Amino acid sequence: MSPILQGIITIIVGVGGCVGYFYFANLFLDKVLFPAKGPNAGRNINRANQIRPWVFLFPAIFALGLYLMYPVVGSFIRSLYDRSGDEFVGAGNYIRLFNNPDFRTAFLNNILWALVVPALSTFMGLLIAQLTDRLKWGNIAKSIIFMPMAISFVGASLIWKFVYAQDPDLGIINAIRTSFGGDPVDPLQIPFWNNFLLMFILVWIQTGFAMVILSAALRGVPEETIEAAIIDGANPFQVFFKIKVPQIIGTIVVVWTTITILVLKVFDIVYTMTGGNYGTEILPSFMMDFMFRDDGQATAVAFVIMLVVLPVMIWNILQARKEMR
Amino acid sequence: MKKIYLASAAALALSASGALADGHINHIFPVGEGEFNWDSYTAYADAFDLSGQELTMTGPWTGDDAELVNAVLDYFESATGATVQYSGSDSFETDIVVATQAGSAPNIAVFPQPGLMTDLASRGFLTPLAPETADWVRENYAAGESWVSLGTAANAAGEEALYGFFYKVDLKSLVWYSPEAFDEAGYDIPETMEDLLALNDQIVEDGATPWCIGLGSGGATGWPATDWVEDIMLRTQSPDVYDAWVANEIPFDAPEVVNAIETFGVFARNGDYVNGGVEAVSSTDFRESPLGLFTFPAECYLHRQASFIPTFFPEDADVDFFYFPAFEGEDLGSPVLGAGTLFGITQDSEAAQAFMAFLQTEISHEVWMAQSGFLTPHTGVNSELFASDTLRQMNDILLGATTFRFDASDLMPSEIGQGIFWSGMVDYVGGEDAASVAARIQDRWAEIQ
Repeated sequence: MSPILQGIITIIVGVGGCVGYFYFANLFLDKVLFPAKGPNAGRNINRANQIRPWVFLFPAIFALGLYLMYPVVGSFIRSLYDRSGDEFVGAGNYIRLFNNPDFRTAFLNNILWALVVPALSTFMGLLIAQLTDRLKWGNIAKSIIFMPMAISFVGASLIWKFVYAQDPDLGIINAIRTSFGGDPVDPLQIPFWNNFLLMFILVWIQTGFAMVILSAALRGVPEETIEAAIIDGANPFQVFFKIKVPQIIGTIVVVWTTITILVLKVFDIVYTMTGGNYGTEILPSFMMDFMFRDDGQATAVAFVIMLVVLPVMIWNILQARKEMR
Repeated sequence: MKKIYLASAAALALSASGALADGHINHIFPVGEGEFNWDSYTAYADAFDLSGQELTMTGPWTGDDAELVNAVLDYFESATGATVQYSGSDSFETDIVVATQAGSAPNIAVFPQPGLMTDLASRGFLTPLAPETADWVRENYAAGESWVSLGTAANAAGEEALYGFFYKVDLKSLVWYSPEAFDEAGYDIPETMEDLLALNDQIVEDGATPWCIGLGSGGATGWPATDWVEDIMLRTQSPDVYDAWVANEIPFDAPEVVNAIETFGVFARNGDYVNGGVEAVSSTDFRESPLGLFTFPAECYLHRQASFIPTFFPEDADVDFFYFPAFEGEDLGSPVLGAGTLFGITQDSEAAQAFMAFLQTEISHEVWMAQSGFLTPHTGVNSELFASDTLRQMNDILLGATTFRFDASDLMPSEIGQGIFWSGMVDYVGGEDAASVAARIQDRWAEIQ
């Protein structure tokens, strides 16, 4: 069967299946289960309407359960077993993790990532959005800043590998150092600070994203409030921090949490730049060390990552609901 | 090299008919020409017809190596009519595990070491090779029995079988140098480790840098250092101790091992000895580090690396090698460290089985031999075909060895040998002391037992 034919059949079966499901489920509900006639007609209509949303939601809930809840529960169970999955070890994997100095490094580094990267990306994005707003060539500047978004993490890492190179002919840090008469160093091997060099790559990628969203939000701030503030004698800083920022705080939160969640997933940068060496390990790259070798440990790390993301997610949902009110 | 290629391309263009009727394939060496064992090719082509079948294959060979292996695969394709999809990966070790677990394994996987193969075999992801293969290896490979035992693994039920077929063997105990640079500086080839250490100081005294060492290799960063440690183990301890170390019968942090790591440190942790300083050791890619031999003035004079490394040398490099010498004072003979890649069947098919038979033909070895960076234990091949005297001399080292041992990290559980041993060596070069690195590796090993 040719791929095109296959595709068409898939679309027909898929869309037709969806339409069919809703049509027949509705029909079943209204005609068979709770027919809107006979002595209980009124009650039946009410009943049918109570059940209808659940019938319509069922495919989504089912799919979510299958693809989200089942793996989560499955991983948790898996993390209670030993490396090959034969023997129940209870919390053994977690205890081993917290006794592992590499895990502690990865955990602390990850917290650092989760604090620095979203803050810096959002701040830079906001700053650039505001500064480029009134410029004639602002759109060009924005496009350039947005461009790294289009590069894969691995691609971006390779670019930055040259920026950080130890060879002063390639690496900008060492070019500057040697021009002042210093000896070239490998920036990625400087303990602690090398983490920030890696984080900056992600900031470089994500600033464009923050900028685009925040720029749209800034444009949505009503002119009247700004004019009123200016008439009242507010200086540009006051206009920005006291008028504009409070009005777009919801968007800032959304951008912030989106990047936070991304940070907790990203491992490509560390993997390509340092391979987790020189104390730059973060949880996802630490998990990679165990993946497919010791499944118990790997799922335990995965679970720790999930627990770290959970508060951010809950906060995000609460904020989003507040916005909707 | 280029000349041969151009010549063969020209020959192809002229004779694009007859024998090459299906000739959409550009063979690097035209069939029937030269001292190759073409009989093995034609006999194979007569025996197998896989027209229309596809064979997928992944392996650790990328870049230039991928071109070399593809040149060999061309012959398999033209002989059988099958098409081969080879894809190389820098992080083969993880990729293949993912692929097998996800059920999307290629037909054939090229394992860079037996450890990972044994792992996968024990989880039931590999298909045993045809039963007669083991006998073939015993008869046709030099030291055949050892290759069979290295390629043998047990499946989930504990039944042993031959899963891996060795092809392309590497000799590791080699030090590469530029004869021209050596002549100019008036250095002699060191016969003993004591001489080599004296040469180090001599070179430093002359205001130059003796070594180029690079441990960088993406997610596998650190592995070249494990080769150093293994080579030094063989030069400071008896083979029994080496075997006990591989099997963890002596702990990883035993004084013998710590001493070997520290001896490696004599070379790698001395800023005067290594090109770019100690920091450059772990960050320089292993493929790029030997290039310092060929600059003018030479950035370094010596580079210890396995026999595959010429693939990464500049085209017209003036280069030779000598045996990484043994300590005269230790009286352990001349031990040699080696390794090799194995082909295993990760997804059985007719073409996969036929491919394993192809690897038994002389021609499948000779095509790569005649290009670069290939050694083989196959005794039937025409050794005149080696691309250079360099390669032929490597055989002599193999023959002159009093002890041959397989790369230890490749034989250790993959979590150690392809994991913490690597990162531990990076930490050691970065300044951590040998004893605590070794103790950490031993802790991890104790955990998985």
